[in-house]
Amino acid sequence: MGTSLKLRVRFCFNLLLLVIMLIAVAAFLSSCQKPRNPGLLNIGLPEEPRSLNLWLGTDANSRKILSQIYQPLYRRHPETLEIIPWLARENPVFDKKNLTYTVKLRDVKWSDGSDFTSEDVLFTKQMVFDFKIPRYYSKWNIIKKIEAPDAHTVVFHLKKPSAIFMSRVMTVPMVSKKEWGTIAKEALTKAKPLRSLQDYEIEKPLGTGPFVLSEYKKGSYIHMKKNPYFFGRGQKIGNHLLGPYVDSLLFRIYGTSDVAILALEKGDIDYYWGDIQPGYLKDLKELDSIDLYFNKKSALYFLGFNLRKPPFNDKLLRQAVAMVVNKEFILTRILQNFGTPMQSVIPSGNHFWFNPNVRKYEDGKTRDERIKSAYGLLKAAGYSWDTPPVSEDGKIVTPSDIRLPSGETMDDIVILTPPADYDPKRAFTGTMVQEWCRQIGLPAFSRPMAFNSLLDTVKGKHEFDAFILGYGKLNLDPDYLRSFFDSKNDKPRGWNMSGYHNLKFDKLARMQTTLIDEKKRKVVIWKMQEMILEDLPYLPLYNPYVIEAIFNERFDGWVSKVDGIGNIWSMCVVKPVDSLEE
Amino acid sequence: MPIWIRGLPIDVRGRTKGVFMLKNHYVQRFLQSWKIFIENPLGKTGVIILFVFMVMALASFVVPHINPMYDPMIGIDPNISISTGPSLTHWLGTDNVGRDLFAQLLEGAKVAFIVGLSSAFFSIVLGMVIGMISGYAGGTLDTFLMRTADIIMVLPSLVILLILSSLFGQFNIWIIVFIIAIMRWPAVSRVIRSQTLSLKHRPFIEASKVAGASHLRIIFRHIMPNVLPLAFLYMTFRVTSAILVEAALSFLGFGDPSQVSWGMMLQWVWKSGNMFHAPYWLLPPGISISLLTLAFYLLGRAMDEVLDPRLRKEGRA
Repeated sequence: MGTSLKLRVRFCFNLLLLVIMLIAVAAFLSSCQKPRNPGLLNIGLPEEPRSLNLWLGTDANSRKILSQIYQPLYRRHPETLEIIPWLARENPVFDKKNLTYTVKLRDVKWSDGSDFTSEDVLFTKQMVFDFKIPRYYSKWNIIKKIEAPDAHTVVFHLKKPSAIFMSRVMTVPMVSKKEWGTIAKEALTKAKPLRSLQDYEIEKPLGTGPFVLSEYKKGSYIHMKKNPYFFGRGQKIGNHLLGPYVDSLLFRIYGTSDVAILALEKGDIDYYWGDIQPGYLKDLKELDSIDLYFNKKSALYFLGFNLRKPPFNDKLLRQAVAMVVNKEFILTRILQNFGTPMQSVIPSGNHFWFNPNVRKYEDGKTRDERIKSAYGLLKAAGYSWDTPPVSEDGKIVTPSDIRLPSGETMDDIVILTPPADYDPKRAFTGTMVQEWCRQIGLPAFSRPMAFNSLLDTVKGKHEFDAFILGYGKLNLDPDYLRSFFDSKNDKPRGWNMSGYHNLKFDKLARMQTTLIDEKKRKVVIWKMQEMILEDLPYLPLYNPYVIEAIFNERFDGWVSKVDGIGNIWSMCVVKPVDSLEE
Repeated sequence: MPIWIRGLPIDVRGRTKGVFMLKNHYVQRFLQSWKIFIENPLGKTGVIILFVFMVMALASFVVPHINPMYDPMIGIDPNISISTGPSLTHWLGTDNVGRDLFAQLLEGAKVAFIVGLSSAFFSIVLGMVIGMISGYAGGTLDTFLMRTADIIMVLPSLVILLILSSLFGQFNIWIIVFIIAIMRWPAVSRVIRSQTLSLKHRPFIEASKVAGASHLRIIFRHIMPNVLPLAFLYMTFRVTSAILVEAALSFLGFGDPSQVSWGMMLQWVWKSGNMFHAPYWLLPPGISISLLTLAFYLLGRAMDEVLDPRLRKEGRA
C-alpha cells in the first residue's frame, strides 16, 4: 500500500515537472519570436522563381517578382482593362499617313537614381531584335525603326498597320542600357547569344517599379524594399493613388499549398499568391481573419490533339471525342463550380472577341445521348466494333475496342497531362477524358507527366496523341489565335502544338493583325473561332476562377482584377490596416 | 533447418508407395507447421487481418454491380458534388467529385494485394534463382552477380521510381510492380546464396553429383526445396515494402492515375485541399495501409518461428 502511494506521488511529481518544462519551453519560444515589422507585407509563393533574369524568368513565379521591378510603357487598367500610360506620360499619337506612334515619357528614374530616357526604349528594342527574344520578337518585328528625338520622346515607325501594337508591343517591360549594355555586348560575342544572355545571373535587377530586390535566399525567401525613386508615388494612375504604402515585401517560398495555407490561417503570411483549391475553402471561410477573393481568369484549358498522325488526324474522331467530353461534369465536380466551361478558344469573359455562336458538341445532353451521337458519327465514318457502345435495342453497353475504317484495331491513345502535384484539376480531367473515351471504345490512357517533360514531348518532339494543357494568363488581345494555330508555327518548340494546317485560317490570322478597325477585326476573329471549333485542333474545356485568400488583420486595399488580386496595383495601394483607421 | 530430398530417403523415390509416402509427408509437415504457425498469436492476428482485407478485395468486384455509382473510378452520386461525410448510402462518405470512398477503399485493397503479392513474387523468384546460381556456381559468376546485387541494393527504389516517372510519365500499375520487383531482389538473393553455400557441401548434393545429376537439376530439384521456405519468409517482408512503395509513389502523385489505390486516395484528399477537414477520407486508406503491411509483417514473424525452432517457446512442437 505504502509502495503504491509512493509510486503515485512520484508519478504526480513527474507529471508536474513535465508540465513546468513544457510551459518553460513555450515561454522561451514565444520570447524568441521577433516583433513583426508593421510595414512588412508577407506573401507566400507556391514555388521558387525560375530566375530573376528577365529574359529567362518567364514562369509565373518569376513574373510575380520581376513585375515589381521591370515596367512597361503602357499597362492595362485594373478595372476597365483599357491600355493606359504607365512609364509613358500620355496615350501615343498615331500618324496614320506615316504609320508612326509618338510616345512621350514621364520623368522616371531607375532604382539607382539614374534617368530613364528614350535611349533605354531604343536599347530594349535593340535587345529584342539582336537576341530574337522568343516572347517578344514575333510581335516587335512589325517595327521598322525607332527614333528618339529627345530624352523623353520615342517615335515608333511601323512596317504596316498593326492592330496588336498597343497590346503586344507597348506592354513589354523596359530594361536599362546601363544594366544590360555590357552584358548584351558580351553575350553577342558567344556562340549562343540568347542562351548566354539568359544564363547571366542578375543579382540586383535595375528597374523602375515600386520595389527593388533587397535579398534573395534561394529556396527560402525574397525580400524586396520600396524603390525610393518609383515614379508613381503619390500619383493617381488608373483611378488609384499609388504608394507603395508598405515598406517592403517578403516573398516566402512554400513547397506545398497545405503549408502555405496553414501559414495564412495563422497569420504568418498576409497573402498567398497561388491558386487555392476549392477543398480549402470550407476551413478558410470559417475564419474571421481570412478574406477570400474569387476572380475570373483570362485563361484557356483545353484538350489538344495531334493532327500530324493517326488516329486524331481524322476530324470526325476528334469531334466524337468532343461529344463525349462532359464539360458540365468538369465544372460542377472538378472545379466545384468555381469556373466556367469554355465554349470557344477565347474566354467568354472577353466579351468583345468571344464568339458565342461556335459549334457546340452535345452540351447539356445526357451521357447516353452523347454516346449515341458519337457512336452515330463514328459508325457513319466507317469505324466499327465487335461490340458497339450502343446495342441493337438502343441501350448503352460497354463496347469492345474500336476498329479503324481500314478494319485495323486502334493503337492505344495516350492523353498526356501535368501531374496532380502540379495541377490536380488537369490531371483529374485527363482521367475523366480517358473514361469518356473508353465509353465509345477508344483505348485511351491518361498519363500524367512532369511538366517540363510534357512540354518537351508535346511542343518539342511532337510525340503524342492528345494532351491537356492550359494557358493561365492569356493576353486580352485575341492575336494569340494566330500564334496557336498558324501553320507557320508548326515547328519544334513552335506554338502550334497540334500541327493544325488550314490555309484559309492562316490567311485570316495574318489579316486580322493589320485591321485597325476593331469591328472589322472582330468579324475575322469570330470566323477564326468558328473554324477552330469545327476542326478541333484544341477542344476548349474550362476556365477556372482564381481563388485567393488574404489575412485581413494587418493590410487592406487589395485590387481585384481579371487574374486575381496578385498584381502590381495591389502592391502599390495595399496599406497597413492601422493607417486606414487613422 | 531440416534437410530432405523431396522429404524422403533416396531408395524409395520413383516408387508408387514412395509417392504416397511423399504426399503424406508433405501434408504432415504442412499440418505440423500450420499448427505452430496458428498457435502463435502474431500469426493468428496476421491471418485474421489478412482475411478481412481479402474479403474487402473480393468485395471490390461485386460493389460496382450493386449500383454504377459505386464504381470506384467513374461512379458518381448524381446528388453529391462535394466531399461529404459517412451516410447510409456512402458508408465512408464521398470524395470531392461525389465518388464513394468505401468503394475506393475496397478497390484499394485489391490493388494492394496485386501490387504487393505480384511484385514480391517476382522479386523472390528473381532473388532465389540468382542467389542459388550465385551460391552454387561460385567464382566469377558469383562475384559478378553479388556485386550487381550490391549496386542495386544501395539504390533508393522510391527515388529511382520518382525519377523514372518524371522522365517518362507516370507508369501503369504493372510497370510499377515490375520496377519494384527489379529493385527488391538483391536482399533475397544474398540470403538464398548463403543458404545455398551451406547446402552445396552437404552429402546429399555430393551424392547427386556422383549419381550424374546436372547442375540445373541439382539447383532446382535438390537445393530449391531447401531454400523455398526461406524465400516464402522473405516474400512476406517484400509484400510489405512493395505496398508501401506503391502507396508512397501514388501519394506523391506518381502512381497510376487510372487505378484507384490507397496511395491515390491519400493523394486526392491532399491535392483537393480536403486533408484537414475530411478525416473520413484521410484515415481509412492510411489505416488500411498500416494494417495490411502489419498483417504481412506478423505473418513473416510467425513463419520465422515455424522455420527456426530456436525461436519457439518451450513446449511447442
